Amino acid sequence: MSIVNILDVEFGTELPVFEPDTTLKNVGAFARAVGWGGPRFESHEGARKEGFPGALVPGIMGMGFLVSAIHRWAPTGTVEHIDGVFRAPMIADTPAIISAVVTDIDEDEGLVELDMTVKNTKDETRIFGTARLRLPKA
Amino acid sequence: MVDIEELKKQFLNAEFDSKNFVIEAENLLVVAKTSGESRAQFIDAEHPDFQATPAFLCSLASGRHLPIDFPALGGIPMDGGKAVECFAPVRAGKPITGKSHLHDIYDKQGRSGRMVFIVVRMEIVDAEDTLLAISDSRLVIREKPAA
Repeated sequence: MSIVNILDVEFGTELPVFEPDTTLKNVGAFARAVGWGGPRFESHEGARKEGFPGALVPGIMGMGFLVSAIHRWAPTGTVEHIDGVFRAPMIADTPAIISAVVTDIDEDEGLVELDMTVKNTKDETRIFGTARLRLPKA
Repeated sequence: MVDIEELKKQFLNAEFDSKNFVIEAENLLVVAKTSGESRAQFIDAEHPDFQATPAFLCSLASGRHLPIDFPALGGIPMDGGKAVECFAPVRAGKPITGKSHLHDIYDKQGRSGRMVFIVVRMEIVDAEDTLLAISDSRLVIREKPAA
C-alpha cells in the first residue's frame, strides 16, 4: 500500500522489502559521483589488495537505499532525518535486503519514525538505523 | 589512556574546517539513480524542486575529519556511521559551505579494549549563511592499549 498522508500509516507496519542494485557497475558509478572513485569501491581485486573481502558498497550508498525504500513506500513524504550505523561492510555484487518498520507516529505533527536495516542473504545486519519522515496531514 | 573529558573541553564545538562546494547536477542524478531513488525531485534535473538526496549530503563530509592538533589515539579511525538532518533543499549549481566541528566525543569499554567515538558535525549553509542541513560522521577508534 502506498502511503499518501499520516492517517494511512499504522504502527508496526513493515515497509515492502526493497532489493537495490548492488552490482559493481552501479556501486562504482555511485562512488565516482561522490568523489570516492578507486579500487576500494570499483574493483574486487583492488579491494582485496587493501585487505577487504571484495569491493565495498559505500555506507552512504546504503543510506541512499534506505531513503529510496521510504520514498517508494511514501511518495509524498519528506525524509527529514536519517541516522545509519555502519556495522559491517556491504560487498558489491552481493544482495542487500532493505527492511523497515514503523515505530512511532505523531499524527498532530505528521511525523513517522522508522527502524531500518540493511542485511545480506545470511540475515547478517550490515547497516541499521532510524529515520524520521514528514507526511502531509489528512 | 586519553582523558575523554579533557578532549571535550579542548575540542568540542570549535570550527576546525570550512569547505566550499558547488554541486553538479549530473552527480546528484547519478547518486539518486544508483541508490534506487524514484522521486522526480531527485532524478529529474528539470524538476522545479530538483535537489540533493540525504545520502549525497553525507558525502560532503569526507576528507579531513579531525582538527589538525587532535591527539593520535593509536588506531585508524573507522567510519562508524552517518546521520543527516535536512532543513531546506540543497540545489545543484548553488554555492554552499560545509563548516565542521567536533560535536561529541565518548567512549565504550569492550572486551578487547576501549573504543573512542567522535562525532564530526558539518553544518551545510548557503551563500546567505542559512542552515540547509547537518551531516554527522561517527568515527570509531580502537584505542591502542598502553604498553
